[in-house]
Amino acid sequence: MNFRRFLLAITLIVALPMPALFAAADGNAASSTETAAKHGDDAHGHEGGHHGLPKNAVPLFFEYKVDVQVFDDAGEPVMKDGKPETKEKLLFAITNSMVVTWIVALGLILVAQIATKKPKLVPSGLQNFVEWIVESLIGFFEGILGAKLARETFWFFGTIFIFILFSNWFGLIPGVGTVGWAHGNPGFFHSEHLSAPLFRGVNADLNMTAAMALFFFALWIFWSLKAIGPGGFFLHIFNVKGHGFTVMGIFLLLIYIFVGVVEVVSISVRPVALMFRLYGNVFAGENILETVMALGGPYFGWLAVLPFYFLELLVGFVQALVFALLTAVFTSLMCSHHDEDHAH
Amino acid sequence: MTGSLHIGLAALGSAIGVGLVGAKAAEATGRNPGASGPILTAAIIFAALAEGVVFIAIFLGKSGM
Repeated sequence: MNFRRFLLAITLIVALPMPALFAAADGNAASSTETAAKHGDDAHGHEGGHHGLPKNAVPLFFEYKVDVQVFDDAGEPVMKDGKPETKEKLLFAITNSMVVTWIVALGLILVAQIATKKPKLVPSGLQNFVEWIVESLIGFFEGILGAKLARETFWFFGTIFIFILFSNWFGLIPGVGTVGWAHGNPGFFHSEHLSAPLFRGVNADLNMTAAMALFFFALWIFWSLKAIGPGGFFLHIFNVKGHGFTVMGIFLLLIYIFVGVVEVVSISVRPVALMFRLYGNVFAGENILETVMALGGPYFGWLAVLPFYFLELLVGFVQALVFALLTAVFTSLMCSHHDEDHAH
Repeated sequence: MTGSLHIGLAALGSAIGVGLVGAKAAEATGRNPGASGPILTAAIIFAALAEGVVFIAIFLGKSGM
């Protein structure tokens, strides 16, 4: 396996998240004022005593803010004391999800490096384990993409599966999400009313899943164009060919154009669905754990949460599989048709 | 009472859809275990399509309000 590509993919994915994109674009009360949530100003009051995660990852370090003008509903600048009113907008910050992202990525890179440092012909130990993972994954993707395409694109699909799987499982380690800065209490180790945990599940942040989905979408366009060319790309979506200019032919042409438009909509929904599926599942899973933990009370929370913990282990695996499988299937839908046409 | 009824309804519908896909996929695998690979692929695609309805509902609801 070419581990330079593995490194490249991880680096790209990790560098892509734009932490303030969704945090700042969020229109509700949880926008700029809550960037101060780690000081516990209003994050807790906003949730009204409910034990739940904040929707977005909480900025921890290096908050970079700019002043932007405030506009009212009519698009006019809001004036205050004769000057245009401004409010702070978060542009960049290191959030708790990013911290976990880097930890997981670093761990994966280290394991990959250590396992392939002295490769042996008959693998044992860590090398054996890593080879087992990689070989079963590539066999799995070969079933979907075909041998050639699978080898070409495995660096992405393999990385995405391994990365999502281990970041989902990392988010389940006790301590992730329960250690951090607490509301109204400057103590560090204080699990009640926690407003800014030090760690937060990687995919419980929409920015991360959005980065992965958009990264895949760009790659998908690149692979499709490479496999079938711009003309084939167009013809694949708008399958307008093989009908004469009879009444029936023109009628069919209209239908095919309509089907093409539907296809365009379906394709453009794909990255959105990808990112929200992963985010929704992981975020909901963390919320379930927190709610059930609170339900069990101070002494039996750990017992109440246990079945859901195993459910979340399963969900973490299934969602990693679904993300990797769906991206692979989307690629194979576009790229393998061409080969089949020629084979006939 | 506040809430988003349309998202709930969409979730209900897509949950039924995903359930049907899963049931039929399991049934198909039982009938023909050799075809489990293609069945899994098809099942995941259609489950994803059924699931996508919820996201569309959430977006339309957000932008419509």
